[in-house]
Amino acid sequence: MWLFALPALLINICIILVPAVLTFTAAFFIWDGVGMPVWAGLANFQNMAADPVFWSALTNNFIWTAIFLTVPVCLALVMAAALLMAPKARIVVQSIIFLPRIIAVAVTGRIFQGMIFSPATGVVAWLNEHGFSISDPLADPDRSLYAVAAVDIWHWWGFLAVVFLAAMRQISVDQIEAARLDGAGFFALFRYVLLPGIRPTLTLMLILTVIWSFQVFEFIFIVTRGGPAYGSEVLATFAYRHAFFEGDVGQAAAAACVMSLFGLCATAVYLWLQITDDAQST
Amino acid sequence: MTMTRRQLVASIPAAALAAGLPRGAYAQDGRKVVTFWFGQANSDGQAALRSDLVEAFNASQDKYLLQLEVKGAAVNNLLKVALVAGNGPDIVQTAGPAYLTAIANAGQVLPLDDFAEKYKWKERFLAPLLNTSVYGGKLYALPRDYESMHLFYNKELFKQNGWKLPTNRKEMEEVADAALAKGIIPFGAGNADWKGVNEWLMTVFFNNVAGPDNVRKALAGELPWTAPPFVEAVELSKAWYNKGYFGKNYFSLTIEQSFLQVVNAKAAMAFSGTWSFGTKSYGMSKPDTVMDVAPTPTLGSAFSGSLVHLACGATLSIAKTSQNAEGAAAVFEFMLTRKFYEAMNRDWPGKWALPVKDLPPEMLSGIGYPLFEKTIANLHEAFSKGQYGFTTWTFWPGATNSYLIEGIEQVWLNKITPDAYLTRMQTLFSQEAKEGKVPPLPPRTA
Repeated sequence: MWLFALPALLINICIILVPAVLTFTAAFFIWDGVGMPVWAGLANFQNMAADPVFWSALTNNFIWTAIFLTVPVCLALVMAAALLMAPKARIVVQSIIFLPRIIAVAVTGRIFQGMIFSPATGVVAWLNEHGFSISDPLADPDRSLYAVAAVDIWHWWGFLAVVFLAAMRQISVDQIEAARLDGAGFFALFRYVLLPGIRPTLTLMLILTVIWSFQVFEFIFIVTRGGPAYGSEVLATFAYRHAFFEGDVGQAAAAACVMSLFGLCATAVYLWLQITDDAQST
Repeated sequence: MTMTRRQLVASIPAAALAAGLPRGAYAQDGRKVVTFWFGQANSDGQAALRSDLVEAFNASQDKYLLQLEVKGAAVNNLLKVALVAGNGPDIVQTAGPAYLTAIANAGQVLPLDDFAEKYKWKERFLAPLLNTSVYGGKLYALPRDYESMHLFYNKELFKQNGWKLPTNRKEMEEVADAALAKGIIPFGAGNADWKGVNEWLMTVFFNNVAGPDNVRKALAGELPWTAPPFVEAVELSKAWYNKGYFGKNYFSLTIEQSFLQVVNAKAAMAFSGTWSFGTKSYGMSKPDTVMDVAPTPTLGSAFSGSLVHLACGATLSIAKTSQNAEGAAAVFEFMLTRKFYEAMNRDWPGKWALPVKDLPPEMLSGIGYPLFEKTIANLHEAFSKGQYGFTTWTFWPGATNSYLIEGIEQVWLNKITPDAYLTRMQTLFSQEAKEGKVPPLPPRTA
């Protein structure tokens, strides 16, 4: 069995475990990325705790998580249920809503930045020319995080809908028909048949959403770089800035440890739910 | 000879290993290879690099073969990792002395003193720029160029409105207010694609309000950043931002879009650097009938007249692990030829304005870009005399500079006060000064 697992195990050790251990170790050193690391104890964590930007970045990660646990999930669940009921439209609609997922993140980010939100070249500019007074949300520190989240939701929710639809299609048709014969409408069917039927998939996607929300980087970095005025800063952009602009790899590693901590918590919850499910089924 | 399946399978790891080995230091024609990574370059720039540097150097001699790779915006990060791993290029180009400090302090690049002696580089480069790469008495890099912030303005627009080129804060604000009253943006500016635009502006505010002597004192640790001259500088930047001097869309426009506003008479002026000459998409032309450029005027009471700001946009070193240091030095020596200077500055103005001491007028006039030639001639004279301010990207240490860029947005958007901004800057600067991360400071004459 071990021999069978060896290739995957080796890859995991080399490209996941070793960098993870090195990153964790780096969090306890002052290191500029090129010179000799100097032992710093908990100084990086203390400095981070004293930095208000860290706390606003962490708060933004929580806001991001809350947004992604609700908005795209609700949109995707409703769309998946609707597509389950309308098999004829399924292929066309799935193709359309899945399309944003296959467009490169950098392209999506630039499209929204230049063609939607830009007050010079985007839809916002057009609306302003036609009498609507709308400002670029990416330029407002109080709205920039939500604007980037909107871009990511556009990119993400279709994928989620396809996953949920695939899970719903595993539910017994008899069960759905029986509910309908009993007079269940769309919402009753959704609440009492479809949602319980896809609970394992839904739980997995919610847990993954929490993990990914604490790792979010690319959309924010491409569209706002965490600004303006740190308005859309999250832990990943905070870590990147420290590592590559400020030459403070130790501080960046400490931020990465905090990101991982939330990922670990989410993973632990998922494992606990699995164990509980196993115990109940046996 | 045929291979058995077993032999073929056994050869795969060996082939993979061979493919991963570093390339040999010799080219097929027996010349020693010199590798050079370059960061961002537009299409004109890449063409100039290939023809004026690579092909011209390789044709000029038969001992070395220069191989150039354009790595893109992430080159600084790639370079650091590669140097630590011992796999960097022979020629190490950094984005200026502030980036070089960590690499030189870590001993990842060779001291160039022997080559400097051999090729008389110390006698041929302007001392203020060459000395920004001296650490512990040793020279670790050559400056690739000099740059400065300037006031670019639409001379046609000024003429139409009867505006005169401002020479102090009062006149500048009069022109800006007059422009605003006509619906013209006073200063075209935008940082949507490059947050570094914040530091271009803050270089002007710190130097031209607080004065270059105070800036030098602060960089030398003799005056805190919280001192009144710097508070005045930050407060003025905030006041101008809030008055709309930089337009309503500073955070939404790209550099190119904002500069084009000036060229297209939607904005009157722009604080930008000498690199603007080398970007065709900015809309300037040679000869230019619309745009003109001048050193930035005083914006406070610390000095009168105008000021240029000493900057080195890139440094050139030789990697510690280079197997061909002689070849890399030969490339540097080639860059010092008059033919290269003229060709490179003609094809990519401003990017490779080598800070050589000897810059006769006929050498500049060969470039064929009058506005650029005038600017470089003025810059050369000011730098030679020691009359300059200090740019943030050359003289501020990394973390302090990063905060200067990010934190000023908080000030402009009323998230923190100028005092809080400068206090945080002082804290970071003190720490970095203690760690020896402040780049060397050249002397200044009034």
